Amino acid sequence: MRLSSVSFRYSRRGPWVLRDVGLVLEAGSVVEVTGRNGAGKSTLLRLLAGIVRPCRGSVTARPPIVGYAPEVFPVDQPFTVAAYLAHMARARRVSPASGTALAERLGASHLLDRPLGDLSKGSAQKVGLIQSLLAPPGLLILDEPFAGLDEQTRAELPEIIGEVASGGGTVVVSDHQNQLRSFPGAEHWLVADASVTVLDGERVRRAVIEVIVGVEEADEVEQKLRADGYLTRRTA
Amino acid sequence: MIHHTALIRFKLAAYARSHRLLQPVIGLFVMMVIFYSTLVPPGKELPSYADSAGLLIIVFAWAARGLLDTEPPAQRLISATSAGSPRREVAAGLLAALAVNLGLAAIAVVLPLLHGFAVTPPAGDVARGAGLHLLGLSAGTALGALTSRPILSSPAASMLTLFGGYLALLLASLTPAGAFTVPVMPWMRAANAGTLDEILLPVTAATLFWSATGAAVYARLRRTRP
Repeated sequence: MRLSSVSFRYSRRGPWVLRDVGLVLEAGSVVEVTGRNGAGKSTLLRLLAGIVRPCRGSVTARPPIVGYAPEVFPVDQPFTVAAYLAHMARARRVSPASGTALAERLGASHLLDRPLGDLSKGSAQKVGLIQSLLAPPGLLILDEPFAGLDEQTRAELPEIIGEVASGGGTVVVSDHQNQLRSFPGAEHWLVADASVTVLDGERVRRAVIEVIVGVEEADEVEQKLRADGYLTRRTA
Repeated sequence: MIHHTALIRFKLAAYARSHRLLQPVIGLFVMMVIFYSTLVPPGKELPSYADSAGLLIIVFAWAARGLLDTEPPAQRLISATSAGSPRREVAAGLLAALAVNLGLAAIAVVLPLLHGFAVTPPAGDVARGAGLHLLGLSAGTALGALTSRPILSSPAASMLTLFGGYLALLLASLTPAGAFTVPVMPWMRAANAGTLDEILLPVTAATLFWSATGAAVYARLRRTRP
């Protein structure tokens, strides 16, 4: 799959969100997209998924089956989890049983009879993830999939990503918590200033700085830093 | 087309389970009570149908807008990828809105036959009435789509455009250039004068042209407004 000179803006007089972006995605590759909030990560993912079309340039050779999980799963819908997944399975022309099987794998079987509106954030993320995998995707796009997930799914997700990639699928994950840092062979893209920089597969060189704050401010500062795309680590 | 039906059914199911369907249904029945609280005398059935088709445009627009707004924005993105392309999601939305409006129009055509017309009109007039309702629902569906959330995100702007747009439509059709707009007033007048058949073809062509144009503009705008 290839992006050639892709530019995008949401309105004719609006600012360019992405400008003259050229990228190549090999089948079977895993890409982690990082960047500050508002840098255009989600827009890049939507262009890749084919949800929006570039204003200029082109996207070619996109695999026919695309799985997409949004950053925040929309729980404001009048369905149970099972009914919702059945609808999405029919839209993808696969058996509703695939939803049940995925729910079991992700430890979400007990959620199937629950209304979407009653789900916690983590459970809703899981439903978003399950619907993206209903048909084996040739391109899997996950927008901040790790946010709010429980430990079990957090551990399961890299495994699922690995399976899609080893089946020849391409996986693109935006993630400002950098959860895929230890994923073997993952490429890294940095979105900033309306362009995308390929960090060439090699480890990004990192520096560690200590920031000393009052205990009561610690959570807030950590959240701010993470929102800006930095990796943080608490020391005792 | 066949494989879009899953997404159309999904949208209809969500709409039916939300409270939004109630609003145009109540609107429709209020209009029906106003139209048919006194019996329509024999021979006046077609003018009555013509008025109903023209006035219900606002109800059809309201229903289309409600249906398209039922789906949360992030779900539209999921639906677009599930259906294989955003064009299919847009098409499924428009077709689901048409389906709802066909149901509402069927009520508006059948109800006066049960109660409202003093005598049952000839089949030809019922067919003409049904045809005018089809024109009304296509114009209404396009207007509703153009005022839905992806196009006009502010509810106030959307409501103003919906009602203002309908009013503008009626006023424009009153002017000498009325035949080139959505000719609501011309079809009401012609039905009253008994000359509907003479203008039925251009009226149909003009209405379908503007409805298709509205739907095309909606689909074009949705390309950057997922």
